[in-house]
Amino acid sequence: MSKNPFPLDKQGLLEAYRTMRTIREFEERVHNEFAKGDIPGFVHLYAGEEASGTGIMMHLNDRDRIASTHRGHGHCIAKGVDVKEMMGEIYGKAMGSCRGKGGSMHIADLSKGMMGANGILGAGAPLACGAALAAKFRGDGGVGISFVGDGASNQGMFLESLNLAAVWNLPAIFVVENNGYAESTSREYAVAVDSYVDRAAGFGLPGVTVDGTDFFAVYEAAGEIIKRAREGGGPALLECKMIRFFGHFEGDQQTYRGKGEVEHIRANQDCIKLFADKVLDAGVIKRPELEAIDKVIVKLIDEAVVTAKAAPLPTAKDLMTDVYVTY
Amino acid sequence: MAPTVGIIANPVSARDIRRVIANATSLQITDRANIVLRVLACLKASGIERVVMMPDNGGIRHHVRRGVERSRNLGEHEFPELSYLDMTVTGTVDDTVRAADLMRQQGIAAIVVLGGDGTHRAVVSRSGDIPIAGISTGTNNAFPEHREPTITGLAVGLAVTGRVPEAVAYAPNKKLIVRINDQAAEIALVDVALVTERVVGARALWKPETFRELFVTFAEPEVIGMSAIAGLLEPVKRSEPGGLHVLLAPTEEAALTLNVPIAPGYMRPIGIARWQRLSAGKAHGPQITSGSIALDGERELSFSERDRVSVMLEENAFRTVNVAAVMDYAARHGLMRQAGQKERQRQVS
Repeated sequence: MSKNPFPLDKQGLLEAYRTMRTIREFEERVHNEFAKGDIPGFVHLYAGEEASGTGIMMHLNDRDRIASTHRGHGHCIAKGVDVKEMMGEIYGKAMGSCRGKGGSMHIADLSKGMMGANGILGAGAPLACGAALAAKFRGDGGVGISFVGDGASNQGMFLESLNLAAVWNLPAIFVVENNGYAESTSREYAVAVDSYVDRAAGFGLPGVTVDGTDFFAVYEAAGEIIKRAREGGGPALLECKMIRFFGHFEGDQQTYRGKGEVEHIRANQDCIKLFADKVLDAGVIKRPELEAIDKVIVKLIDEAVVTAKAAPLPTAKDLMTDVYVTY
Repeated sequence: MAPTVGIIANPVSARDIRRVIANATSLQITDRANIVLRVLACLKASGIERVVMMPDNGGIRHHVRRGVERSRNLGEHEFPELSYLDMTVTGTVDDTVRAADLMRQQGIAAIVVLGGDGTHRAVVSRSGDIPIAGISTGTNNAFPEHREPTITGLAVGLAVTGRVPEAVAYAPNKKLIVRINDQAAEIALVDVALVTERVVGARALWKPETFRELFVTFAEPEVIGMSAIAGLLEPVKRSEPGGLHVLLAPTEEAALTLNVPIAPGYMRPIGIARWQRLSAGKAHGPQITSGSIALDGERELSFSERDRVSVMLEENAFRTVNVAAVMDYAARHGLMRQAGQKERQRQVS
């Protein structure tokens, strides 16, 4: 075998592939199942953006907390949330991560440091500041990471959180997953000064932009930023420029996208394909090893759908459980 | 008719990981736009009536438009007539390459470039014989000279309007040509570095243990980045023939260790195996069989044992506006002088 010239060992490379492929298979399957009409509420799919969540989360452990967005399935999977419980949650079943009361936009698992997907744009940013403040007080080297899209980066909550994190020198990291569209509005129309690095600089935070379709670019940059935060270097912003394969939500007709845009990015900017090409070309991993992972994932996601569909809904007596907390 | 000048301002230079690992600066969009406005004002003052710019969606165009419209509203005529190239904006380096291509086709007299070494490389890859004038808005920036952009704008105007002789106004430059198999050649204006990492990843270079080989067109001891390694070993001027070829090694295996600022404020010991002068026109094969190739400080290409890689120095490859020489000529020949009011009155009477 060739010498490994990558920043991860073979096990790490296989793990990165497994995570990205799990997200992709999960999202493609939800896309198909949603069209059948069995899934309640809205779903927003992360397909095409896998390199971002995976490249960042591979540097984290369960003590590190993340606050996700409405497009949160990928973050959940990369943070280690059980995919069967996730699927159950999306179907609104009692077996779900949140006992079927949250749905797609509120999947959470605190045992994994996943504070929740979030239906309110920008609302994850102050939560990540809270988690970062707790980690700072505990002194355990933990970090809080907030994900927002390019649209939510215009929200007051997000900007206030940049300020708070800088003022308190928190181990907080703000990841702007810039897929170019705030729902259907191109960022050209809606974001003054199209540099999130500039926004960070306005609050005294360093900012970095990377190609979010390149797993290794995200992995390297996130590694340095997270290390800096753990060492007391304070907050930072990471912009991942990326693309989404599907619409803003399932059912979105995507009339705002150029003709052939999706086909082009699927053919040329698929982050999983780009990753696979690199590791295969280097001879570090053989194609059958990736195909074996693919096979296991297809089976896993299929089981998740079958299990979720067959699972019972929450009952009336469950209505008030897990809803209120007594301090 | 007065010549037209082009401006290519990269909105996304100075955004990489060196903001975190090396405390590098990140020049804000409004600062870049203000630089463009300063250059425009000086081009106008030196007789340029028309300027064409690369369009961008990064915010530079909007801010520049505000400045130009305000001036027009006040009837000041402070700036030349400004238009934008008709091209699709992708937000990538492709925009710079396309803009340079279009400017060459349109017969632009000179191109003012705002960016780092990478932006200048992208422009030179297409600008042909058009002289360029660099303004540093990147990170390491060994290629563009560091000076107030006001002066760069003024010198470009004086040069392209013919008030300074060509032999003074323009300087020849060297470049490196990198070939992998039969693919289209890539170029570098300052340095080509070969590193063991196979991935382009976050692009910047900050891990000396991966550095293996370095080719430079010039080596100045007062710059930072990869070319600083050569600059601190054996300085080579931009204006002299040849470059430098340095073989690098992990410090524990090297005969010599050199302390070098390879990024802003980022001093690292660099292991040196040996070095030699690099002659133009001779293709060199790399010492390592796989890894990645950094062009002007950023990993751009990867190669394996199956690839044929060569690096070659070329002299008189492209021209730059010699700002220092232009301004010296302008001062010595009174190009900025005008008759005072008293003298004008005397002439009228």
